[in-house]
This record gives sequence, structure tokens and C-alpha cells, in this order.
Amino acid sequence: MKKDTGNKIRMGIFISLGIALFLVGIYFIGERQQIFRSTFRVSGVFKDVGGLQAGNNVRLLGVNVGTIDNISLLSDTSVKVEIVIDESIRKFIKKNAFASIGSEGLIGNKVLIINPGTGDEVGIENIDIIQTVQPINLEDILISLKTTSDNAAHITSDLSNIAANIQSGKGTIGRLLMDTSMSQNIDSIFVNLQEGSAEFNNLINNAKNGFSKNLDSTLVSLEDILISLKTTSDNAFHITSELSNITDNIQSGKGTIGRLLIDPSMAQNLDSILVNLHEGLTSFKILTKEAKNSWLLWGF
Amino acid sequence: MEQSQNQHHEAEIIPEAFSRTISDSLINKFFLEISSLTIFTLRFFKEVFKPPYEFSELIKQFFLIGYKSLPLVGITGFIIGLVLTIQSRPTLEKFGAVSWLPTMVAVSIIREIGPVITALIYAGKVGSGIGAELASMNVSEQIDAMQVSGTNPFKYLIVTRVVSTTLMLPVLVVFADAVGLFGSLVGVNLRGDVSGHLFFSQVFQNLEYNDLFPAFIKTFFFGFAVGLIGCYKGFNSNTGTEGVGKAANSAVVFSSLMVFLIDVVAVQITSLFQN
Repeated sequence: MKKDTGNKIRMGIFISLGIALFLVGIYFIGERQQIFRSTFRVSGVFKDVGGLQAGNNVRLLGVNVGTIDNISLLSDTSVKVEIVIDESIRKFIKKNAFASIGSEGLIGNKVLIINPGTGDEVGIENIDIIQTVQPINLEDILISLKTTSDNAAHITSDLSNIAANIQSGKGTIGRLLMDTSMSQNIDSIFVNLQEGSAEFNNLINNAKNGFSKNLDSTLVSLEDILISLKTTSDNAFHITSELSNITDNIQSGKGTIGRLLIDPSMAQNLDSILVNLHEGLTSFKILTKEAKNSWLLWGF
Repeated sequence: MEQSQNQHHEAEIIPEAFSRTISDSLINKFFLEISSLTIFTLRFFKEVFKPPYEFSELIKQFFLIGYKSLPLVGITGFIIGLVLTIQSRPTLEKFGAVSWLPTMVAVSIIREIGPVITALIYAGKVGSGIGAELASMNVSEQIDAMQVSGTNPFKYLIVTRVVSTTLMLPVLVVFADAVGLFGSLVGVNLRGDVSGHLFFSQVFQNLEYNDLFPAFIKTFFFGFAVGLIGCYKGFNSNTGTEGVGKAANSAVVFSSLMVFLIDVVAVQITSLFQN
């Protein structure tokens, strides 16, 4: 009999505990859904709720303060979202508060985020309609990100090609930076110019001193030499002006960088200019030597 | 020559007729079983509301079926919660969603694993126990003796046991769920540091009544099926010691199968209401 009573007591404790646990579960689930609290309702109209569901959380400054009670279509372009919020939070939400739809994470649930509004406005009332901000669609963000990343890939690919071209000495900048023959050519041009101008100077001086003595006899030959000299100097002027134009263009950044970098014809042009100049000056040197040794100028 | 042909013909006919008889008898046996189980169930509903009520036996069965099953159900629930948490962690880690572990495990335990695993343990312990007990009473003619002495054996033995299994399983499932959640808390803290407050806050954050009530309601049906089948198998067992083992075995097998069938139907009905 005593054992029977003990069993019954244990039975009673077992069942009571089971029921208590069940009720605790019901309470905590209900607590989250604001069932056992005093609440107030507001609603908002969205064009697109982006997957928001009844039961999702409502957040104010990152704190869960309510839940979505109901979502219903008002028309083909608007959705009404009814929100239940804890009454004790009402004093913090102003009339000009607005709601937007956010996400708990990349794979998380949607949440309704309430911006409380400015401090001067009066508090929101029960069954008020809250202003809304249309949600940013994740797909739009992804499309925008894809375009940006495509562009970045294109730019880096171009930069990579440019760097490779410069490294391999292609294009003007590439040749300027990598090709040693360019600097040698320029050096030899200046040496030739120096020598040519010195000899030309001597020739003019000599011509000045003896000009009056054999003027008549040498006039024709001198004229020929001068014509030849003029042509040579014209050529030299033409070459140097071209060179000047090219350097000006490089300095002022005219023309496309791509052409400067990629187009090998520029470098070839420069090459031919330098060759012409070189040849012109060489022929000028030869001419001045010949003129010096000519019998027509003996005595000068 | 003619005689040997006749013998050969007879040899062909006999196995065919034999196999037809066996298949016919299996089909008949199946339908006979369905029919007698239906009659047994209807008799239960007839007897359950009719006085006199066997309260003292009912309380005794509550104790034996419910309270005595608590340690087994508790250990099972704890291990299920712990293992489910440990097993789910690597998958959630791949998605960077380890913080969802308490929620995921809680929904799994409360919606499905808690009720079904507890019902299967219950079928193994209680269903077989009832089947073997009633079958041995049948063998030793105690049921007949009860009838002779003026006690309604159906009311005294069957109704009390089926009511007990129906009402005790939901209580056990609540315990199993609670202990399973504690097991999950231990599992989470094996490779992390989550306080009990945070864990249960996350558990209840995403649970809804839609998760709790359908799972709770279906446990009554599980309990009813386990009790009814155990009683049916024991009450209708063959006389002889062989019948006792057979009754216990078939009670477990059939009631476990019924648990899954009820679960499928319950899930369909629940999803119908949720949508």
C-alpha cells in the first residue's frame, strides 16, 4: 500500500513535470510572437516584399521588437504588410518612421527594419500606416557586381598586355625604356651635328676670306654647293622639325596611349627619321669635305 | 508409358495448386487480420466510455508504461540531441551558418526526431511488453479465469493499457525533446562556447506553434497505435509458449511500421494546413 502511494506520487511528479515543460515551451514560443504581451499594430504598403513572410521579425535599431502578422496583396503593384510591435516600444517610434525590408544574412530570413524617425515628431498611433522604403533586390546587386567585376577583369587584362608589351620592348615607350640602340642612335646624331656644324663654320669663314678674289670663277660652283647645302639643311630642318613634333606629341600626350604603346609603326617612323637624319648629316659632312678639297676653293 | 505421362502431369499440377493455396491463405490471413483489428479497435472505443472505469489499474499502467520508460527515453533523447548536433556542425560550417545550429537541431528534434524516435523506443519497450504479458496471460488462461470471475478482461486489460500508452507517450516525448535540447547544448559546447541562455534564446527564436502542435498531436496517435497493436497481438495470440514470443515480436514490428505510416499521414495533413 505504501509502495503504491509512493509510485502514485512519483507518477504525479512525472506527469506534472511533463506538462510544465510543455507549457514552458508554449510560453517561450508565444513570447517571441508577442502573444503574451500588450502590443500595437501598424501597417505598411510595399511594391515588393522580396520574400518577407508572416512570422518574420521586426527590428528597431537591431533589436527584435515585433513580428509580421499578415501579408496580403492590395493590388497588382502593392502588398500590405501588417506588423505587431511590443507596446512598450511605441514611444520610440515616431510618426515619420519608415520601414524597409532587410535580411538576417545571405541565407537568413527576411526582417522588417524600422527606422524610428526624428525626435521632434509625435509618437506613432495604433493602426497607423508607416512609410516604407522599397527593398534593394539581391539580384540587382548581383547583376551590378557582375558588371563591375567584368569591367575590372577587362581592365586588368589590358594592363597586363601593356606591361607585357613594355617588357618585351614593343611600342614607343617599350623601345624607349628597353631598347639600348635608340640611345646610341641619338648620341651619334648629336656627335654628327656637332662635327657638321664645326666644319660648316670653318667653310663659311674660309669662304668669307677668299670670296672677293675668285668671285666670278667660283660663283657658279659655289652656287651649286650652296644649293646642295640648302637642300641638305632643308632636309636637316625637316628632320629636326619632325623630331620636334614627335617629341612634342609625346610630351603633350597627344594621340592615344594605346597607339603609343602598341603601334610599332611609330617606332619604325622614328627609326626612319633618325636614319634619314643620320644619312643627311653624313652626306653633309662628305659634302663639306669635298667642298674644302675642291680646286675652286683653293686659296680660301 | 501412359502411366508415366499421367504421373508427370500430376507432378506439374500439385505445386501450382499448392502455391495458389498458400498465396490465397496469405491474402485471406491479411484481410482477416485487418478485419479483426478493426473489430478490436471498435470494441475498444465501445468499452472506453462505458462504466465502470478501472482507475486504479489505469494509474498503475501510467506508472509502468510512462514513468518506467522515462530513463530509457531520456537517455535516447540526450544521445539523439548530442549526435544530431555533432553531425550537423560540419555541414553548417561549410555554409558559415554554425550560429544556426541550435535552431536547426531544435526544429529537427521537436518536429520529427523526438516524437518518432521516442515512439519507436516506446514500441520496442512497451509494445513488446504488453504483447508478451497479454499473450502469457492468454497461455495460462488467466484471461478466461478473469471472464469467469465476472471481470471484463477487455476493459481491465486492454482499455487501461491503450489509454495509458496514448496519454503517456506525449508526456515522454516532451521529456525526450527537453533532454534532447540539453544534449544539443552539450554538443554545441563540445567545439564552441555557447551559454545556455543564448542557446535556448536561439532555439525559441525560430520555433513556432506550427512546429510544436502538429508534432505533439501526432504522438497521441503513435501511443494509441503502439498500445492497440500490442494489446491486439497479445490478446489474440496462439496458445502455447511459442505464441508469447510471436506476439511480442509482431507487436514491435507492426507497431513500428504503424508509427511511420501515421507519421507520413501526419506530415501530409500538417503541410496541407500550413499551406
